[in-house]
This record gives sequence, structure tokens and C-alpha cells, in this order.
Amino acid sequence: MAAIFSPDANLVAKVILLLAAGVCVVGAIFWWWWPNTDYARNLRAMVEQPVPFSHDHHVGGLGIDCRFCHTSVEVSASAGLPPTHTCMTCHSQIWTRAQLLAPVRQSLAGNTPIVWHQVTDLPDYVYFNHGIHLAKGVGCESCHGAVARMPLTYKAQPLTMEFCLDCHRNPGPRLRPRSALFDTEWRRTESTPTPDALLALYHVPDRNLTDCSLCHR
Amino acid sequence: MSSQPRFDDPVVQPQLTMAAMTDRVCAIALRERAYLWWWIAFVPSLALALLLAVSAAYLFYAGIGIWGVNWPVMWGFAILSYVWWIAIASGGTIISALFFLVHAEWRDSINRIAESMMLFGAAAAGVYPILHLGRPWHFYWLFFYPNNMTLWAQFRSPLLWDFWALFTYVGASVLFWYFGLLPDLASARDRAVSPRRARIYGVLACGFRGSSRQWRHLRATYAVMAAIMTPVVVSIHSIVGLDFAGAATPGWHSTEFPPFFVFGALLSGFAIVLLLIIPLRRLLELDDMMTGRHLEVLCRLLLTSSLCVAYAYLMDAFTTFYGGDRAERVMFLTRVFGDEAAVYWGALLLNCVLPQLLWMRRLRVHQPLIVVICLGVVVGMWLERYGIVVYSLNRTHLPSAWGTYHGTFWDWSTLFGTVGLFLSGILLSIRYVPVVSMHEMRTLIARRAVPAGTEAP
Amino acid sequence: MNRAGSAWWRSLEQAADDPGFMADACAEFPGLARALAEPLDRRQALKLMAASLVLGGLSGCDEKFASALIPAVRMPPNIVPGMPNYYATAHVLDGYASGIVVKQAMGRPVKVEGNPQHPASLGATDVFAQATLLDFYDPDRAAEISEGGLPSERHLFSAALAAERAAAAGRHGAGLRILTGTVTSPTLTAQLQALLRQFPEARWIQWDPISRDAVRLGARLAYGQPVDVLWHVERADVVLAIDSDLLSTAPGRLRHAREFASRRNPSRTHAMSRVYALEPTPTLIGSVADHRFIAAPAELHRLVSIIAAGILQDQPPPPDAPRWMPALIADLKSARGRALIHVGADQPTELHTLTHAMNEALAGRGSTFDLIEPVAVPPIEHANAMVNLTSAMQAGQVRSLLIIDSNPVFTAPAAWRFGEALERVPFSVALAGSADETARATRWFVPLTHAWENWGDARAHEGSVTLMQPQALPLHGGLSAHEMLAEYAGEPQSAEQAVRAFWQERFGAGFAGAWHDSLAAGVVPDSASAPSSVRLRDEAARTALAAARPAEGLQILFRPDPCLWDGRYANNPWLQELPRPLTKVVWDNPLLIAPALAQRLNLKSGDRVSLTVEEKQLTAPVWVMPGQSPECITALLGSGRRAGGTIGTGQGVDFYPLTARAGPVSLRAEPGRVDLASTVHHTLLLETPPEEILRHGTLAQFAANPRFIDAGELPAQERDEPRLYDSAPAGPAAWAMSIDLNACIGCNACVIACQAENNIPVVGKAQVLREREMHWLRIDRYLSGSGDAPESFFQPVMCMHCEQAPCENVCPVGATVHDAEGLNVMVYNRCIGTRFCSNNCPYKVRRFNYFAYAREQHRAPASWNPDVTVRARGVMEKCTYCVQRIAAARIEADRGHGEVAEPVTACQAACPTQAITFGNRADPRSAVARRKQSPLDFAMLPTQATQPRTTYEALIRNPNPAIDGSST
Repeated sequence: MAAIFSPDANLVAKVILLLAAGVCVVGAIFWWWWPNTDYARNLRAMVEQPVPFSHDHHVGGLGIDCRFCHTSVEVSASAGLPPTHTCMTCHSQIWTRAQLLAPVRQSLAGNTPIVWHQVTDLPDYVYFNHGIHLAKGVGCESCHGAVARMPLTYKAQPLTMEFCLDCHRNPGPRLRPRSALFDTEWRRTESTPTPDALLALYHVPDRNLTDCSLCHR
Repeated sequence: MSSQPRFDDPVVQPQLTMAAMTDRVCAIALRERAYLWWWIAFVPSLALALLLAVSAAYLFYAGIGIWGVNWPVMWGFAILSYVWWIAIASGGTIISALFFLVHAEWRDSINRIAESMMLFGAAAAGVYPILHLGRPWHFYWLFFYPNNMTLWAQFRSPLLWDFWALFTYVGASVLFWYFGLLPDLASARDRAVSPRRARIYGVLACGFRGSSRQWRHLRATYAVMAAIMTPVVVSIHSIVGLDFAGAATPGWHSTEFPPFFVFGALLSGFAIVLLLIIPLRRLLELDDMMTGRHLEVLCRLLLTSSLCVAYAYLMDAFTTFYGGDRAERVMFLTRVFGDEAAVYWGALLLNCVLPQLLWMRRLRVHQPLIVVICLGVVVGMWLERYGIVVYSLNRTHLPSAWGTYHGTFWDWSTLFGTVGLFLSGILLSIRYVPVVSMHEMRTLIARRAVPAGTEAP
Repeated sequence: MNRAGSAWWRSLEQAADDPGFMADACAEFPGLARALAEPLDRRQALKLMAASLVLGGLSGCDEKFASALIPAVRMPPNIVPGMPNYYATAHVLDGYASGIVVKQAMGRPVKVEGNPQHPASLGATDVFAQATLLDFYDPDRAAEISEGGLPSERHLFSAALAAERAAAAGRHGAGLRILTGTVTSPTLTAQLQALLRQFPEARWIQWDPISRDAVRLGARLAYGQPVDVLWHVERADVVLAIDSDLLSTAPGRLRHAREFASRRNPSRTHAMSRVYALEPTPTLIGSVADHRFIAAPAELHRLVSIIAAGILQDQPPPPDAPRWMPALIADLKSARGRALIHVGADQPTELHTLTHAMNEALAGRGSTFDLIEPVAVPPIEHANAMVNLTSAMQAGQVRSLLIIDSNPVFTAPAAWRFGEALERVPFSVALAGSADETARATRWFVPLTHAWENWGDARAHEGSVTLMQPQALPLHGGLSAHEMLAEYAGEPQSAEQAVRAFWQERFGAGFAGAWHDSLAAGVVPDSASAPSSVRLRDEAARTALAAARPAEGLQILFRPDPCLWDGRYANNPWLQELPRPLTKVVWDNPLLIAPALAQRLNLKSGDRVSLTVEEKQLTAPVWVMPGQSPECITALLGSGRRAGGTIGTGQGVDFYPLTARAGPVSLRAEPGRVDLASTVHHTLLLETPPEEILRHGTLAQFAANPRFIDAGELPAQERDEPRLYDSAPAGPAAWAMSIDLNACIGCNACVIACQAENNIPVVGKAQVLREREMHWLRIDRYLSGSGDAPESFFQPVMCMHCEQAPCENVCPVGATVHDAEGLNVMVYNRCIGTRFCSNNCPYKVRRFNYFAYAREQHRAPASWNPDVTVRARGVMEKCTYCVQRIAAARIEADRGHGEVAEPVTACQAACPTQAITFGNRADPRSAVARRKQSPLDFAMLPTQATQPRTTYEALIRNPNPAIDGSST
């Protein structure tokens, strides 16, 4: 009886099988790789703000301390955002005409809060506490990156659970001297105390820092 | 040409020739238009399958709350129906794989049906573990994969083994079924008149041309698969048993569960096979390949497994009182004498008492009676699981946490939906796939025919 | 929660000086008010709050602000983003105050705690105080003034009021009536009395449906002048509770409970007290008493007269007296000076008078009780005053009626026809929180500001005054009682002015300091009522009870609903779904009938009956109540509101139409049933509670062998045997809990405190009927013996935090795990909802979100506790030992701020009897470690070898050996 398939059908079949296998492998790799890309994690992406506030200028340039605006960062879970009032302490004197600052002046005049856009966000079920991290010698930069060099603020670290655990499993190397906590330029030098010394200095407790209950409630 | 089956029938009627057999079986798969009875059976089955789709969709939209599960009865229809289906599928596997290994001749003509039953039974069971989750979209957390939470699944949980066992089982079943199918697909390809069909069967046959090399590989692989499937099927059902035995809940916390569940698998498996072949041998005029001998053998097996199950029930009662745990006792007594004792006694009657009729040789070929008994077993096995799952949770240690349980509309719709899924699958396979394993039948006929010396193999 | 050094007062005046602040606040309120109406993702709201103005920001909850951060324009004082503030005030119920401390997150009230410095609280709260939180955020609270049901304006009302005042002034106030609830507020009293001086002909009526007339009149008859009695339960060796509300509804109940419990655990108290209860219907104190005697109302009076004769005239009981009677009288007399007899407010005046005579005769004065000048100001006779008012209204003598925070149209007995009478009053004003039945019937309706929104003051049961400071600016505007009266008097002033003015002259020179300290402490120092030295009148001892006997036959008793009180809390979902202590019924108020009566009428719980009193007939479902006298039935008031808001309206049956009727009571079975939702889905009437669940015994057994509870062959709980899995390595702390069953009175304070603290959703009656309630903490109640006179056992059950937790082994994704400090942690965001953990939990303490319960309820996002995740659909949840509080304490400690205050769980903080102790078991000095050393300590279900971190102290009862157990 007549052949149903031409001789090269075998080849076609084999190719198709190979392709199928290939797709599976590539798919698996992509599935793993995609969430790890900066794009998926929204890393290093400038965020538009109502007022193009530059940490580069205020912190890096003028040398204003983080705590001047983020007042509650040392004592509370939330670092706190400066009320318009804080901005106007200076800007009622300098740059009083600047077009860029119009929204700030309007905010004070019209008593309407400025609506900033969030840059770093954690999932709702994660309870992060700024105060305790600073108290134990973790600097701003460890999570927020070189803010003092950011014209527009962006997310500098993945802030995944993996990221948190890396440090919680071995905090020592991430700790820094008190003087350097708010210095986003700081780097380890020979003179820096050893990780163990810092652990001792800050009395980092010997409790298991990877307990789920530490961050999830 | 149909005749009353007799217990002393040969395993295949002598006048049946290889060619005739092959032609007839292929003809069934190659018919241009399906039988009327097929449509009559298929349409409602498909409707039920659609009902399953609707139920699942609404479940995902609304949440587990649409089911009857509550506090404290947090497992209900989903789990017990899952166990029920797995048992049915496993039964099919055992017939096809185990009896292949022991060279049981009678299995050759029915293993295809048994395998289809395994396949679609597993499919019906397979939907439940996902549906049953509170947050089904996270089901993949049960796998091990690199993730930026640096988290793994939890080894100690029986549910985890269960999940993997199910995946292994479903995968293996598909392969096992398909391998056995290759030569028959090839025969169908060669006999197909319409080129379209020929091409389709051709593609599915993966270029099987019946060269001795291909035959050698096929037989070897098939034998290996069978050797693998047998322990796999035992493992899957033991692990399902461990889902319960592994818990500290009264009524579950018992080492007898794994074998108990395997016995159940055998019982329901034989019952469903009988339910399938009895109508098919007539409707498809296969009664010369599925003879009284088959009924006789299957009925004996049914009887045996029924006795095993009865033993398990006995042990269940014994250990309860031997153990002397108050909660166990209370739970058992409520199950046996409580408001819904009918469930327990129903299971006992249908699974253990009714099949005893099959001690009588005459009745082992009495088709209507067999059908009744098998239907009884199918229902009985479901009741048994209902008793195990629901009552153990109804009557736990603290009287303050005792509760009640009732299935809702959506519980039932999901259950019957899976029945629809199973039947539609079976019917489709009957319609388009050679319903008897022709290549194995040919060897059987050949082997049988040799002594008669009428025809060379 | 760290109370150390935090001053619980807010300086609103500072803020008030800041115009921008006020402007903002007002500008923001419509937003808040709007947001209150729609359910909203809590954390979404939280993000906004975390950086937003103290009283505003919610108007920004629209989609477009999905990832917005909104800082304040000016930061208000005393606010540190992310840190809670605590401000003291008081919770007032029927006039009597109990001190509370309100926890605020970013200026929003999120939780109520008791005020340890307040004499009526001692740090504990009752269910009502806890639930006030939801009342404060209640979407049904009225926002605008209305006249004749139509929206009106404030100035229009002021004008109308001015005209009315002018007219009244011409008549010297004739035809002017002011109706309030019981008033203890010094400021309000002063204002009212000033008003009465201004309008001599005017009258002031007090009305509370849950009447305490009998108590006040009884005392006056006994002592010839109004006095209040101060009970010292902790000094009583023998207590006779006659239909007593000592622990349930009496003012000062929280203190009574604390003192009661202090004498109930033989392993701690020097001498365990013995409590007899004599009552027709089960009460809290009855269910924890050593002997409980059931007596029909008629019988009860006879028995009390016999007891009185025995105590006052040394008459031996007549032969037909019960067998236990002589022993009881002997016991009371032998405890001379340490005996206490208490009568419930529902018993007639004469009974109270007689009891005072008995207490005096037993020399309890100065020991088990003291007399003080009355706390509530006259007029004190509510019922009579109300009847007179109604008849005056009927007669058209009342020209203007001012109703302040009272709901007589609903609560006044229908027999008095207050509603009709009200129509004949030309100028009627209702000052009420929401548009209730009365507010809809009066001509004017003025929204009343919530107690947390304005200034005020109130006195505790022993007289101490609390200055009530606002917790927030009014959400919907409205007037306070002070402002309304000031306006009526013609010199409008704010509530703050009124209160300050009053206390200015009280404190005199040292005002500033005294004011500050009083606000900080939550109590005005030495403001308690002066003790009274009045002598008992001799007639008191000769009071006859027979006169007070109502007709024979079936009696009906009216009691306040344990959760809805007189109906004012009917719109509070927490309270509606709070299992009633003795029936565990939720969302309903079935008629309580005795098993014997149910048998006679062939009734089951849930069957409908038609109940007729005089000619008034209504149908209601019944609940078979073990321990109820078959000659009476009990109706719980407060349900069946006609205008109770979205939650309360039409929920349950309204029994007020039957009150104040003396006629015969008849009960007839009706066809049909009502599905009653109870959180106990199965009868708990057992032979005796299984030993492995709840252990109990008598003082005699304890005296013989303090460790007698271990005598059974049950294995000790701390077995050291090889384990398949090692428990987690021990951390610096080992959190554990001990629950003293001798102290638990089943009052539910812990249950609702847990619900408030842990964002536990309300699921509604339908879901409870499907057995899906969500309370993390439940109070199991077992009854043993016969259904007619059962012995009762309470057992609070929450997650036991087993060291060998069965739930952890079976979770396939590791969503429930152990932490180093022994907590059995539930990680919601890891849970996929296989529900295996619950199946494997022997204590069945896990709850599952079958639906998105948290999202489905209409609740202000600001009212959720920001420190606790709101659980999503398909997720398991359970008691966490208040892990958020542990975390706060841990962080506090790690930041090196000295010695850390041990975390206090929500249930522990609320418990009036300190039955619950929590802490670090690893620290031998900790309270919990010491309690675990108690000989009574036992673990639930030890045979499961789960090694629970929560253990119990066995229940010891102290029956009188001279009375055989059968009568208990």
C-alpha cells in the first residue's frame, strides 16, 4: 500500500522532539532567571516625584544628616517622611522663588500634603523595624545603597527574602561602627573593627536570627 | 454471535483467528461514524465533565468556603473522592502490570481497558489535590526549585510524598499505556482507509513498523515499565494511606492503613473493570475474547480482595479497643452506632457481605448480578472513605470540638463532574483507540492455537 | 506592651492652638468618614497612615495613590511614626466608669486596655470596653442634625432651642423634662442642677432599663438614707450569692472578680473561700460556686426568709426546708465577720433590705463590706420617675423633652406606651449616637459625640472620678451632653470648657498639676466616696418578703444580654458574635428554659414557642438551659432592635414588650424552628469531664495530697523519651502560659480582647451555623451530672504551642514551624491551605479562612491593629501568643533600654481574675515559671505527648462536707 509518510518524516519527528525538549529546558531556566533580573525587581529605576528631590545635593552636597528628615528612623519601625514644614525651614529662606519648589510652597500654603511616590517597598506581611537595625549597627546603605549619590532616589537592593536572610544568617560582616551608620560612602578599612568585635560591641543577641517569627506576624 | 458466558469457557474462543481478531478490533477504532449507544453514553458524560469545569471555575473564584468543609472537619469530599479515584486507577494498573508479570493469559484481552481505566481514574483523582488547596495558585510550593525565599518544601509531611507519588504515578501511567498502544496504533494506521486517519494514527504510532528490532525493544521496555508500575501503584496507595496513618487523629492513627488502602484499591479496581467489560463484550461483540473465563477470574479476585477488606475492617475495630484510647473508642462507637451509622454499615454490607455471593460458581458468570455487586462495591468504597475522613474529624479528642458535616451542592457537582471526566475519557478511548491489545492477543491466540495445529503462528 | 513611664494624657490644647492642625483635621474628616463606610486593605491604609497626619490622610485611599506616601504638612505633637501612644480615659456603662487606656497608632484608636491604677478596672476590661473600639468606628453613627426626619442645620436647631428656652423661661421651666441614663458625672450633675435652678419647674428623670432601683431602695429602706455598698469579696470566707450579679453586671464587677479569684486557688490563697449560690437561673458566680442551689423565684423568697430567720432570730429551719439549709446557716454564722451575702439587682427591694440586715448581723460591716455615700446622684427611682413622666406626657403636661443618650422608645416597657406619649410632646430632642428608635420618634435628632471624641468625667462604683479625655476629634461632628445642656442653659460652651470650669474650682490653686496628674493616672486622686457611718434601722430585720410575692405559675425573668447589655451594643459585630458565656449562642437571644420544662412541652433548642404575658404575646426560639429552674424562664433583653443599625436591626427577639407586666405567663409550642448558631456544636453534658482534658477535685482531696491530680495513671506531661524529631534549639527565652481554672469565671473578656488585638474577623451567623467561627481563643464549658442541676466547668483553650507540635510535621510547605523561643509560628504568607495542620491538632485550635472574611466586613481600615497581618482567603490561622507584643518587647530589650518589661498577651491583660499568666518559663523568677510549679499544674491531653507550653491549674472546689454533693 502507498506510503503515508515521506522518508524525511523521521527527521521531522526527531527535530520536533528535540525542540520540545529544548522548550522545556529554556522555559525552566527562564522561570528561574526572570525574577532575578533587575527589571523584574525594579532595581535602579528612577522614580518620578512631584518634586525632583535630590539626595545627591542635600546629603552628598550639603551634608544634611539622614535623621534631619527621617526623624524616627532610630527609635521606630518606620523611618518617617519629613512633613512639608521641615522642607520649608530652609526653603522659606533660600530658593524661595524656584519653580521646582512650587509644589512645596503650595503644600504649605494650601495645607495639602505632598504625595510622594514610593521607592522601596516590602510585602505587607513583612514587619521591618528601622530602629533595631540601626541600634545593632546596620547602616542605611546596606539596604538603601549610596543614597548620597542619587540625584533621584531609586531602589538599590533586591530586598528579597534571600537578601534579608543572607545578612541575618551572618550579620557580622555587614555591621559598621556607629560613626559610619549614616555614611553611605563608608567602606571597610584595616582600621575597622572585625566583624566579631562589632557583634560584641552591639550585643547582637545569640538568638536565632532566622526565625520566621522575627519578621512575619 | 453472543452466547451466555460459562465458567468453563476458554480464555479465548478457539475459532477466533488472528486476522479476524485484528480486523474486528481495528474496525471498531476505524468506524466512520460512532455507534448510537456511544453517543447516548458520551453526551451526558461530557455534560458532567463540563459541570466539573464550572465547579472548578466557581471554586477558584469564591474559595473553598463553597464546600461543606468546616471547623473541625477540614477535609471532606475532595480528599475522600481523591482516595476513591486513586483506588480505582490503581486497580487498573494492578490488573495490567502485575498480571502481566505473572503471565496471566486472561489479562491480555482486558488490559487495554484496565489501562484506560487507570489513566482516566488517575486524571479524575489528579484534579483534587489542586482544587482542595486554600490557595491553589501556590501549589508549586510543593516542588523543590531554586527561589529567592531560600525555602524548601517540608519533607516530613505525608502530603508532600503523596503529591510526588501522584505525579510519578500519573506520568508513569501515561507512558505505560502509550507503549502498550504503539503496535496497535500501527495496525490501525495500516488498516485505515481514509488518509487523514492513516496520518493521525501514523504520527501516534511513532513510525512503528513491526521490525523485529522494534518488537524486541518494545517488549523489553514494556516488561520494564510493568515491573516499575507494580511497586509504584503499591507505593501511591500506601502513601495515600499514610496521609491518614501519619496523623495523630483518632481513627487515622493506625499502621494498618497502607495495606488497608491497597486492598481497597484491588477491590474497586476489579469492580470497575467488570463494570466496563460486561457491557463492552456485548456491545462490541468481543465475547469471544472476553469470555466467561474472564468474568470467573475477575469475580474470584473481587471476592478475595473483598475478604482482605473485611479483614481490615475487623482489625480496625480490634485495634480501636485493643489500644484503649478513649478518643479512639468514642470516635469508633459514633461511627458504628451514631446518627449516621448507615454509612459504616453500608460500606460493610456493600464491600464485604454482598460480594460473598460470588462463592457460588454459577453466580460468577451471572452478568446482571455481577453488575449489581460491582456497583455496590463502587458505592461501598466511597462510603468507606467518607466514614474514615469525616467521622475521625467529627469526633476528635475534645468534645468541645465535635462537629457535624454535610456536603454542599458544589461538593456533589465536583464529584459527579469527575465521574463525567472519567467516563468521557473511557468512551473516547473506546471510540478511537483499539479497545483490545491486539498484539498481545495475537501471541495468545498463537500460543493457544499451536496444540490444535490448525494454523501456523 | 510597655506601659512603663508613658504618660497617658494628650495635650489636645497644644494641637488646638495650631490652626493649621485643626484645619487639616477638619479637612480630612470627610475622607475618614467616607473611608469608614467601605472595607479597605488595612496595610494599604497603614502605608498612608504611617506617614500621614495624625487625624487625616484617609481621603487619599483612592486607587491613584496605590503606592503613595503622604507626609504631614505639619507634624502634630507627641506622634512618632510607627510608635503607639497610650491615653487614659474611662468606659462608662449605665453611669459607672471603669478605667481604660486606649492604644493609638498614628493617632487612631486601635485597642483598649484596662487601667491598672483605676479602682474599678485594676488593669482588666470587660467585653463592652474592648468592643467600644468598633462602636467608635461604627459606620452607622449619625453625622447630621435632623428635624422631623429631614436633614437640618446646626444654627436652625440653636434657633429653635433658643425659642424654646425663652418659652420655658416664661413658665419657670414648667413642662420641661430632661431624661438621662444614670448620671455619676460631677460636671454633668452640676450642669443639670444649675439648669434646674434656672428652671425651677423643670424635672430631671433618670432611666436605665437594666434597673438597679431595688438595690438603691433596698439600701435606703435598710439604712434610712441612700447609701452605696462596697463589697470586699477577698475578705469573705463564706459567700452566699442570691441570684447574684456580683461578677456579671454589678458596678465594680471587674474588681469583685479579681477579689473573688484571689481566694479560689488553694495552692496560693491562705484559706480558700466557700461560695454558695442560690438562684433560679444560671449566673456566672453560680457556675463557679462550690454549691449551687436552684430555687424558683417563689421558692427563693421562702428559702431566704428561712435563712434570715436562722441568722437574725436563731430560728432553726422548719422541717420542710431543704437538707442543706442547716449546714448553710451554720457555715454563715461560724464565719461571723468573714461572711458575705449578696443579692442580685433583679430581686425585690425587701430582699435587699433583709440582706443588709443579715450582713450587719453577721458583722460583715467594715470587713466584707463598707457603706459609702451614694455615687449616682438622685433622682434614683428610675421606674417610678419614668411612669410619672409618661403619664405627664400622656396628659400633655410636657411641652419640651430633652433625651440625652437614652433610648426609651425601645427600652421602656411597652405597657407604659412611651412611644405614643412622645407624640404628644411638642418639642422633643434626642441626643443620641445613631438614629435609634428614640431619635426617629423625636422632633429633633442631634448626633451625640462618642465618649472618645469629647471631654467628660464619670465616677467608678466606689466613687473615684476619671477625667475622660478625647482620643480623637469628632469623626462626624455632633454635640456632647455637656454642650447640649450648656446650650439649653443659654451660655454655650464646649465640653472641655465645661469640664475644666468644674474642676477648676474643685482643684483650686493647684489646678494645672492636679489636672495633669489626673489625666495621666486616669483617676482623680482621693475622689472616692466618703464612707458612711449610718446605722441600720431596726425595722430592716423585720422586713417581710411575702408582700413582694408575685402570682404563682410560670415566672419570666428579664436579664441584660451578656453581650448586648440593654441593646445599645446590638450594632457591634464583635459582641453579636461573642459566644454568650453560658449558652455559647451567638447572634441570637433564645428564651432560656429548663430541661424539665422542655421535656414537658416536648421542646428542643431552637424550637419556636409562643410566649404570652398578660395579653401581650410574641414568638421566640427556646434554648434548653441546664441548671435553670423549671418554674421560670429567662428572657435576655437587648436584641430585636427596630433601628439598631445595619448589624443590629431585627437580630434576635425584642422582649421589652413583655417587661413590667405582672400578669400570668404562658408558654405554648409553635410549629417551626429557628436555626440558632452556637459555637458548641454538640452537647457538652458529660458524666464528668475526661481526666486527660480537665482535672478537678475538692479541697479535701487537695488537703490530703496536694498532688492528687497526678495520682491518676496518666503520664506526667514532661516525659523525656527519645523523639523522632528534635525540638528547636532553645533560645534566650521559653515563652509559656499557665491558666488557673480556679480563677476563670467564663466572662469572655479574653476572647474579645484577643479578637481586637489580632484582627480576628467576624464571620456572621450563617458561617457560624456552618461551624466556621474564627475566635483564636475559645472558652469551653463542660457540664457534668444531671441536666437539671449540673456542675459547670470553664476551660479557656487556645494554641498550646506544643514543643512536639503535631501540626508542624504535616505541613507540606513548612508554613507552621517552631521558633527558638518555643513559639509554634504560623507563617500566613507561606500557607497554601492544605488544612492538614488542623486535622492533626488534638486541641483543634486552628481556624481557616474559608472565605475572605477579613475583607468582607465593613470595618474602618484605621481600626485594624497595624502590628498584625490581616489574613487572606485560604489561609490557616491561630493563637500566636501575641507574637507582635513579644517582638515589641524583644526589640525594646535588644535596643538596650534596660530591663525589658515581660510581654503581656491581650487575653492576659484583659482577664479580670488574672487567670492567665504568660511569660518566660526559662526565667525562674517569672510569674509563669512559679505558676508551673503549682501542684495543680496539668497539661491537656498528656497522652498525646505534645508537651504543650500552655498548661492549666486544676479546678478545686470547696464543698461543705456537711452537705452531700448531690445538691450541687
